[in-house]
Amino acid sequence: MAQTRSRSRLLWDIVSYVVLIGLAIACIGPIVWTFLTSLKYEADIVTKTMHYIPPRITFDNYVKLWNQSGYPVLVINSLIVTSVTVLICLLTGTIAAYAFSRFQFRGRTQLMLGYLVVRMFPAVLMIIPLFIVMRQVGLLDSTFGLAVAYTSFLLPLFVWMLKGFFDAAPKELESAARIDGTTRIGAMFMVVIPIARNGLLATCVFVAIAAWNEFLFALMLTTSQGSRTWPVGLQLMVGEFQLPWGMLAAGGMISILPVIVLFAIVQRAMVAGLTAGAVKG
Amino acid sequence: MAEARITYPPPRTAWDRYNPIRLIGEVSETRYWMYLLLLPSALLICAVVIYPTLYGMQMSFREMRLNRPDLGTDWVGLKHYARMLADPIFWVSLRNTAVWVTSAIALEFLIGLVAALALNRNLPGSKVLAVLILLPYFLPNVVAGHMWALMLDPRLGVINDVLVHLGWLAGYKAWFADPSTAMAAAIVVEAWHSFPFFTLLILAGLKGIPIDLYKAADIDGAGPFAQLRLITLPMLRTVIAAAVILRVIGLVNSPDLLLILTSGGPGRSTQVLSLYAFQTAYKDFNFGYAGALSVVMFILLMGFAWAYVRLSKVNED
Amino acid sequence: MATLSINSIRKSFGAVEVLNNIDIQLEDGGFLVLLGPSGCGKSTLLSIIAGLETSSGGDIVIGDRNVNDVHPKDRNIAMVFQSYALYPTMSVRRNIGFGLEMRKVDAREREAAVDRAADLLQIGHLLDRKPGQLSGGQRQRVAMGRAIVRNPELFLFDEPLSNLDAKLRVEMRTEIKRLHDRLGTTTVYVTHDQVEALTLGTQVAVMKAGVIQQLADPETIYTKPANMFVAGFIGSPTMNFLRGTLEAGAGGLQLRHAGGTLAMPGLEQDASTHLGREVVAGIRPESLHGGEAAAALTGIVDVVEPTGPDTMVVVKVGEQLLTARLGPKHRPRPGETLRLGVDAASINLFDPETENRI
Repeated sequence: MAQTRSRSRLLWDIVSYVVLIGLAIACIGPIVWTFLTSLKYEADIVTKTMHYIPPRITFDNYVKLWNQSGYPVLVINSLIVTSVTVLICLLTGTIAAYAFSRFQFRGRTQLMLGYLVVRMFPAVLMIIPLFIVMRQVGLLDSTFGLAVAYTSFLLPLFVWMLKGFFDAAPKELESAARIDGTTRIGAMFMVVIPIARNGLLATCVFVAIAAWNEFLFALMLTTSQGSRTWPVGLQLMVGEFQLPWGMLAAGGMISILPVIVLFAIVQRAMVAGLTAGAVKG
Repeated sequence: MAEARITYPPPRTAWDRYNPIRLIGEVSETRYWMYLLLLPSALLICAVVIYPTLYGMQMSFREMRLNRPDLGTDWVGLKHYARMLADPIFWVSLRNTAVWVTSAIALEFLIGLVAALALNRNLPGSKVLAVLILLPYFLPNVVAGHMWALMLDPRLGVINDVLVHLGWLAGYKAWFADPSTAMAAAIVVEAWHSFPFFTLLILAGLKGIPIDLYKAADIDGAGPFAQLRLITLPMLRTVIAAAVILRVIGLVNSPDLLLILTSGGPGRSTQVLSLYAFQTAYKDFNFGYAGALSVVMFILLMGFAWAYVRLSKVNED
Repeated sequence: MATLSINSIRKSFGAVEVLNNIDIQLEDGGFLVLLGPSGCGKSTLLSIIAGLETSSGGDIVIGDRNVNDVHPKDRNIAMVFQSYALYPTMSVRRNIGFGLEMRKVDAREREAAVDRAADLLQIGHLLDRKPGQLSGGQRQRVAMGRAIVRNPELFLFDEPLSNLDAKLRVEMRTEIKRLHDRLGTTTVYVTHDQVEALTLGTQVAVMKAGVIQQLADPETIYTKPANMFVAGFIGSPTMNFLRGTLEAGAGGLQLRHAGGTLAMPGLEQDASTHLGREVVAGIRPESLHGGEAAAALTGIVDVVEPTGPDTMVVVKVGEQLLTARLGPKHRPRPGETLRLGVDAASINLFDPETENRI
C-alpha cells in the first residue's frame, strides 16, 4: 500500500513538472523569439528557410530604433507619466488605504465596494468625456493629463492592494504608539507605514507597470510626439512607417526590460498583495 | 524606578502652538480624521471616474460629432439607441463579444487551474517556474500582440514553420487574415497573456485550504480526481467566482489586444463591442453613438455580474 | 502613581450595550483585575481607560484629573498588549525608549532609563536586536520594559500572558507580581484566566455581558461568590451545584436532594428565609473529602481522573454529578459506592431563580 502511494505521488510529481516546464516554455518562448529576432539582420528574418538561431548577431536594430525613430522621447514621456501616476496614487491612495484598513466608520463598506465597482465602468465610456474635459482645461495631449486619467483605474486598485498590506500590520501597534506619545498621524508614519514598506513598494511597482504598459487611454488622449508614450508610438510606427520586424522586436525588448526587472525584484511581495486583496475582495 | 525621575521637557512653547506638524497631529485625533484621509482620493475618483461616466451617459442622448460641428450638440433622446437596434455591426459585435469572452475565460481558467495545482505541490524549482509562468500577465498588450503577430506571420512566423515541419499544416497560414481563424488566434494570444491571473488567484485560494481535509480524504479512500471535485473546487468557489468576474470585466471593457492584433478584421470577424465603441469615437468622432454603445455594454456587464453572483451563490460564504 | 476612579462608564455600539454602568474605585498602588469570558466587555473597558476608545457616558479619573477628553499620549499611562505590539522595524532599545523619544526626553537620559528598565527585566543583552529575533518570553519582557521605563501613573495589561506556553505563563505571572510589589504602580489587568486574577489582584472585578458581577478581593471572590456565575467561573474544577430543598434539621439547616439529605452543620450563611424552598448548594471540589464528617454525601463513582497531587472523582449523587478533589491515595473504581465527607462550613447557598447568593 505504501509502495503504491509513493509511486502515485511520484507519478503526479512528474506530471506536475511536465506541465510546469511546458507552460514556462510557452510563456517565455515568445519573449525569447522576439529577443532573437531583435538580434537578426532583416535579411535573416525574412528567409526561405527559417533560422531558429540567428546566423549573425547585430545590435543595429537597437541602435537604429534609438537614434532614428524618436524612441527616446517616447520612453521619457512614459517615464514621466508613470512617475506622476505613482506619485498621485502614493499621495492620495496611501492615506485612503490606511483609513479603510484602520477605522470603522459609517459608509465604510459601501465606499470600499464603490472603489471596486468603478473598475466595471467601460474604459471607452470614460475616455470620451475625459477627452472633452481635458481639451477644455488644456490637459489634453499632456503627460500630466494622461497620468491623471490613469488614476481612474489605477487608484482604486492601489487602494485595495495596499489595504491588504496594511491589514497585515496588527492594530495594537497603533494603540501602543498612541500611548507611547504619538498622534494618530504620527503612529501611521512612524509605525505602520515602515512595517508595510515592502507592500507599499510592491503596490507602487504594480501601478507603475500598469501605467507603463497602458495603451488605450494614451492613444486617445495624446495626439503629438510631445506627450505620446511608447506603446502608442510603437503601434503607430508599425502602422504608418511599416516598421521592420527587427526594429519592432528591439522596441518591444527595450520596453519590457524595465517590467521584467521590476517584476523579478518585487514579485513575491506583489503576488502576496495581489492575492490577499483579491481573495478578501 | 521611582528613585530615578525622568525630566520631561516643558510640554508646550509658543512655537509649538503654530507648529503645522503639531496642528495636523491635533486634527488626526478628531473624530473626522478618517474622512479627511479619504477625501483626496474620493475627490479624484469623482473627478476622473464618476463625472466622466455620468457625462458619457448623458452624451449618449445627444448629438455629438467632433468632426461635424454643424450638427450641434442637441438632445436627440433615444435616437442612438434606436439606431443601434438596426445596426448590423452592433449585433455582430455583440455576438463576437460573447464568443471572445466565454472562450477566453474558459481557456484561461483551465490553464490557470492546472498551473496553480501543479505549482501548489511546492516541488523543488517551482518558485522559479512560477515567476516565468506569471510573467506574461505583466507584459504590455502592445508587445504581447506584436510578439504573437511575429510568430504567427504568414511569411516568417515561427509557429507556421514548426507546424509545417510537424506535418500538421500544409503551408504557412495567415491566421489573422482568415476570418475563420482570426478570432481563435486572438483568443490564444489573450489566453497566453491573462491565464496567470487565474493561476495567481487560484494559488492563493489553494493555500487557504486546510491540509487536514486532504489527509481525511486520503484515509476515506478518495482518489486525486475525487479530491479535486469534492474538496478543491468547492473550497475555491469564492476565489474562482471573483476571478471570473474580474476577468469578464477586463475582457468586455478593454479592446486593446484586438485593436492591436486585428482592428476588428478581417471583415467584422473580430469586432467586439468595446472595440466598436472605441473606433466610433476614435475614428468617426461620433461621441454620441460611442457613448450609447458603451452604456449598453455597461448595462449588459452589470446585468451579467448581478446574475453571476446570484447564480454562483458567493454570498452564502 | 495615582488612584483610579471609573464612574458610571457606559459603552454601546448602536443598540448593543457593551458596558453597563461600570463603577470601580482603585486605591493608589492597587492591582485591579478585570476577569470574565470573552465578549464580557473587559477589554473595551481597558481601552476606554487608556483613551483608545471613547465611552458613551461616565467618567475616568486618574489621580484627581478627569481624563475623558485627554489623548492617550497625555494620560501618563503605559500598556502591555496581548500581542506585545512591539514595533518590528525598531531595535529593542528604541522600542523601549520610544515613549521617551516621543516626549523629547534628552537622549542621554533616555539611554539611562532604558538601561535601568532592561536591567530590572534582565534583557540588557537583547537591546540591539529586533523584536523578530526574540522568543515569546523575551518579547513579553520587552513589552513590559516599554511600559515601566516611563514611570507612568497607571499600568494597563491586556491579557499579556495568553500568548505564552503554560510554563512561561506561570513564570511571567510571578515576574509581574514581583514588579508590582517593587514599583507599586497602580495597575489594571485584563484576563480570562481565573488563576491569574486570584494570584495577582488586590481587587478582582468579575464581569459578564458588560455588567460587573462581583467586585471584591480575591479571597472573597473565591469563598463567597456573589452569584452562581462567579461561583462557576472561579475555581478549577468548577464548583459543584447540588439542587435540593432547604429544611430545618436536628443540627441546623439541611438540604434534601434527590440522593438523600445533606446536613450542613456550621454553615456560616443565614438562609432561614429560604426554609422549605428550592435552593442550590455550591460545594467546591476540595470541600468534598474521603474522610468522615458530620455532613456526608453518598453516590456512585462515575469517572476517576488522577492528576498527580490529587485524584478527581466524579460521583453521581441521585441524578446530579459532583466532582470531588481527593488525595492521591484515593483510587476508587467506577461503579463503586462512595461516601464523601463534606466541609459544610464552606458551602454557599444560592437562590435558583435569581442565581444570587442568599
